[in-house]
Amino acid sequence: MLNVLNLSKSYGSTQAVKELSFDVNKGEIFGLLGPNGAGKSTTLECILGTKKPDSGRTILLGNPADSLHPSIFENIGVQFQDSHYPDLIRVGELYAMTASLYRKATQNRDELLGLFGLEGKIKQPVSKLSGGERQKLAVALALINNPEIVFLDELTAGLDPRARREVWQYLEKLRDKGLTIILTSHFMDEVTRLCDRILIMQNGVASITGSPDEVIKQSGQKTMEDAYLYYTGEKGKYNENIICTV
Amino acid sequence: MRTLFVLFKTELTLALREFSGVLFGMIMPLGIMMLLGILYNNKPAFEGADYTMMQQAFPAVMTIGICATGLMSIPLTIAGYREKKILKRFKVTPTSPAVLIGAQFLSNLVTALISSLIVCASAVLVFDYSFRGSLFPFITSYFLVLASIYSIGILIASLSPNMKTANILCSIAYFPMLFLSGATIPYEIMPAGLQKVSSLMPMSQGIILLKGISLDIPVFSPVKPVIILALTALICTAVSVRIFRWE
Repeated sequence: MLNVLNLSKSYGSTQAVKELSFDVNKGEIFGLLGPNGAGKSTTLECILGTKKPDSGRTILLGNPADSLHPSIFENIGVQFQDSHYPDLIRVGELYAMTASLYRKATQNRDELLGLFGLEGKIKQPVSKLSGGERQKLAVALALINNPEIVFLDELTAGLDPRARREVWQYLEKLRDKGLTIILTSHFMDEVTRLCDRILIMQNGVASITGSPDEVIKQSGQKTMEDAYLYYTGEKGKYNENIICTV
Repeated sequence: MRTLFVLFKTELTLALREFSGVLFGMIMPLGIMMLLGILYNNKPAFEGADYTMMQQAFPAVMTIGICATGLMSIPLTIAGYREKKILKRFKVTPTSPAVLIGAQFLSNLVTALISSLIVCASAVLVFDYSFRGSLFPFITSYFLVLASIYSIGILIASLSPNMKTANILCSIAYFPMLFLSGATIPYEIMPAGLQKVSSLMPMSQGIILLKGISLDIPVFSPVKPVIILALTALICTAVSVRIFRWE
């Protein structure tokens, strides 16, 4: 579904992504993890063709990123971090507008919004939704075209525990139907529950990749969170230094 | 086409809901029409003129809607869509963000046309306005003025890296063109010095052109305004196409 090979991208003197390689298989939930600024969003943007990599190549649904024909996006869903919408637009209008961008049959509106608990919000301005509702709407809109592969950047940021569970359950159902999901997240419980495989990034470089269990095992830590801190260099030396200086 | 239609409908709905476009593009020109009508109705434009003040002012007031949509709504909305990364979001769908910009143009075009029709209707129905020139060149010129002003709007959208800059550039373009071009305050009552400054603006040239045609002035030559308007449209569009960024 997706191959990334030796991807590098820098902004000026900052190396955002360096020699990154990974593959994502069909029907897999793949987690891209790492602290803010590790290069996760840049990686997603290079894959989607909204940013041009300095070197390396990415192949999405069999198409190299530098020659992505717009029609390939019929089969791709995207939720960017911090989604913004036109002022004063209502949920139903935004839904209709987003659905109109796709040629192929889109999801049933009430059914899809219902799955995210938004069925009663059709007439509400998007700006009046709570942060959690807006986030759920962004995920719903990424799935509007029944994609084969969906990119979810910080999918449950701002969601309450119940809403997070609901989104997880829904994504698992879709995965079981063959949807491929690539997500970024800062919640390790989410990652452990959802992801078949993960890749932890630090300063644009891959620290480790594998299933959550493998990653925990290799790190010699007890939990995913500890393993994550271990691989992103935020446990041990750095933390102790901070504590010492305080 | 279906996509364009849905986007157009949404853009128009949002513009009506937002209301400032309705206020500045429709209600304001109607108000100015009423004011001019009440103040000057049936008075000759000047001593010995064979047309009235109303006939002279009518084509200018008709362009207020073009000004409001082209120099405010279009650049502000497009710059906003870029800043909010809505155009970027379109890049990862099968639909080009250019379709959204097209829908934005259409929605503003319809607003401008409605504005002009309101001005026409009020002039004809309330103040017995009669059109003296020939209709076809007038309508053609109207769309030339529209193309020219809208191209300035898209140039502003292309030049502005963010909403703040877009706001400043819009104000710089919009208010002088609105007040000094003759659209609101009749060009004829301005002092000579101001008239000179005014005639540098494409909007003024557009109004001169529309006036010349609608009043059927025998000595009027449309060549200069037509060239200025066409050049403005061509240059601004060409520059915009080169420098426009989706994000």
